[in-house]
Amino acid sequence: MADVMEKFFAPKSVCVIGASSTAGKPGNVVVKNMRDAGYKGKVYLVNPRGGEIEGYKVYKSIDELPDNIDQAVVTLPASLAPDTVRALGTKGTKAIVLAASGFSEVDHVGEALQDELIAAIRESGARVLGPNTTGHVSVPSAYTSSFFPLGDIPRGSVSYITQTGNFCGISLRHIMSAENYGIARSCGLGNKADLDECDLLEFYGADDETKSIFMYLESIKNPKRFLRVARRVSQKKPVFLLKGGASDAGAAAAVAHTGSLAADGRVVDGAIDQAGVTRLRKYSHLFQVAKALDTQSLPRGNRVSFLSPSGAFTVCLTDICRSLDLEVPDLEDKTCKRLQEYAPPFIRMRNPVDIFGSVGLVGYEKAYGDALDAVLVDRNIDAVVVIMMLTTETGVPNMDFIVDLSKKNPSKPVYVTFMGEHKHNIAAKEYLELKGIPCYMLVEEPFEVLSLLASCRKNMRVR
Amino acid sequence: MATRAERIIKAALAKGQKTLSEYESKRVLTAYGVPISREVLVSSQSEAKAAAKKVKYPVVLKGCSADEAHKTEKGLIAVNLASQAALVEAFKTISKRAGKNYDGAFLVQEMVSGSREIMIGMHRDPSFGPSVMFGLGGIFTEILQDVTFRVAPLRKKDARDMLRSIRGHKILEAVRGMPAADLDILCHSLMAVGQIALDHPEIEEIDINPLIIRGSKAVAVDALIVLANPEADGATS
Repeated sequence: MADVMEKFFAPKSVCVIGASSTAGKPGNVVVKNMRDAGYKGKVYLVNPRGGEIEGYKVYKSIDELPDNIDQAVVTLPASLAPDTVRALGTKGTKAIVLAASGFSEVDHVGEALQDELIAAIRESGARVLGPNTTGHVSVPSAYTSSFFPLGDIPRGSVSYITQTGNFCGISLRHIMSAENYGIARSCGLGNKADLDECDLLEFYGADDETKSIFMYLESIKNPKRFLRVARRVSQKKPVFLLKGGASDAGAAAAVAHTGSLAADGRVVDGAIDQAGVTRLRKYSHLFQVAKALDTQSLPRGNRVSFLSPSGAFTVCLTDICRSLDLEVPDLEDKTCKRLQEYAPPFIRMRNPVDIFGSVGLVGYEKAYGDALDAVLVDRNIDAVVVIMMLTTETGVPNMDFIVDLSKKNPSKPVYVTFMGEHKHNIAAKEYLELKGIPCYMLVEEPFEVLSLLASCRKNMRVR
Repeated sequence: MATRAERIIKAALAKGQKTLSEYESKRVLTAYGVPISREVLVSSQSEAKAAAKKVKYPVVLKGCSADEAHKTEKGLIAVNLASQAALVEAFKTISKRAGKNYDGAFLVQEMVSGSREIMIGMHRDPSFGPSVMFGLGGIFTEILQDVTFRVAPLRKKDARDMLRSIRGHKILEAVRGMPAADLDILCHSLMAVGQIALDHPEIEEIDINPLIIRGSKAVAVDALIVLANPEADGATS
């Protein structure tokens, strides 16, 4: 299994069956994507017309290809899939990605075709990703089989397993343009005719490039194996799951999307808990939580401190922490004394830290910097959120002190969020995130993330 | 212990029973260490009187037959019988309600008092297999549906998590002068129910409702084990 997963995620050679010279067609975008990703392996293209596409020689049939090409990406229509899989199997290809849709997710005819495909896969001796998938991405190998235009994907430590093509398509484009974290692997499972979430989870669990695992699933193909594999992997690495189809209406949509039938939701809930997998409830958390783990560590617990330029935040964000199962504990005495040094005497400094008065007295960098340093070394605190107040009039400080202090305390995550002038916030996010400090545009978001990470830490404890 | 349970199940299947009677169900549970109420199976009024002396008043009298899964609805239960006179009266009423053709027995049970009722169940999920359920018991099972599931076999931690993950989990804490519930007993019972399901594929469903928490210790007061219909293909897979 490990060998064939290598052929999927680090192929030395790959062929595209159904390569096209027409811009925008999947058979063309795949080839461009590989080139744009910087793929260094050998690329073989197949199209009955022959000739040349994107500078590569085109073979007229699978028969003409050399033997034992590591991986094949098939962009042909669904009806041709079974024969193509057999032909590739004969040529010794062990890893096949099937893009075509029109199988069990559509109708009875599609279901019959999928059964035929499954039989063909067994005969071929190859493993298949899909059908009905956008493909997969492997950044350390500069490789992608996706037919969604992607470009150069930033490398990181987060890996995705999704029963949707979004994370090799539009959601990946969102990550690449709106966020500044990188990914290691991403895989769209499609209809899971062969490979399923367990195979990927097992591979990611043993994969040195992957530090945290995020899943979006509409069904679990082999529930008992999932429980076994997830239990093991979730002890070593943070594993998160957004389960689509949790509501009745959502479950009905899942049948149309990937042909998934819902198991009893309450049993699934229990099994996910047993598996040590941390449950996500929001799609955007698939980015927000991932971003936190790409550059910062998992907090040791749920004890939070935050620096706030507004009294209202100290109050309402404490309420939010409470509702999210986060503690806002008392600080150590020495921390309070230190905070008081820069504060006006009429403000009693404590957690959460009302920083407004100190900023007025000693300036932005000194007030925030000293307070952040103080709470980071406090033994009662596991993580810190810094709420920045940025406007042209009050000035925009150099924010390197946050980066430096975070580096000094690597076991305690530091996140930044903002209130003030939007253009400064956006610029600050870009600056800080590229230096490894996750930023969140809405004040509640970093707390939601910390809450999920604290649950994850709990789930990972030896049981 | 598995063999004792196996004998009960085999005998019931041989007789064509679709369920185990309450008495049989509890023998299976107690074989696996699930705490059950003290009780004696009787078939006559005089046996009932002797049994009540042994169990000690107040007692509960129930019709007990594999065909009578809905004892409450049929009025086949009389609780809190404080004296022999009350027991005799109840015996007459229940016999009458059960009808002339009733060939079942009667159960004389200790009256377990406690104001906290919980439940443990098991059903076979088509994808995950035997799944253990825990929740609030008695009438609240249906009204609040405050239940949680775990897939068998349960580890100790799974059982602990279950107890914490219902909305009404505080019912197990020390509340209103009542002591905290003994969680070890509950964990053991949850794990035991999962194990029963794994050991006996002939069992389709288990419903222990209620377990009453007497002082700090849970006791199964009513229980029903449903057997798989051997004709239903794959029902036990």
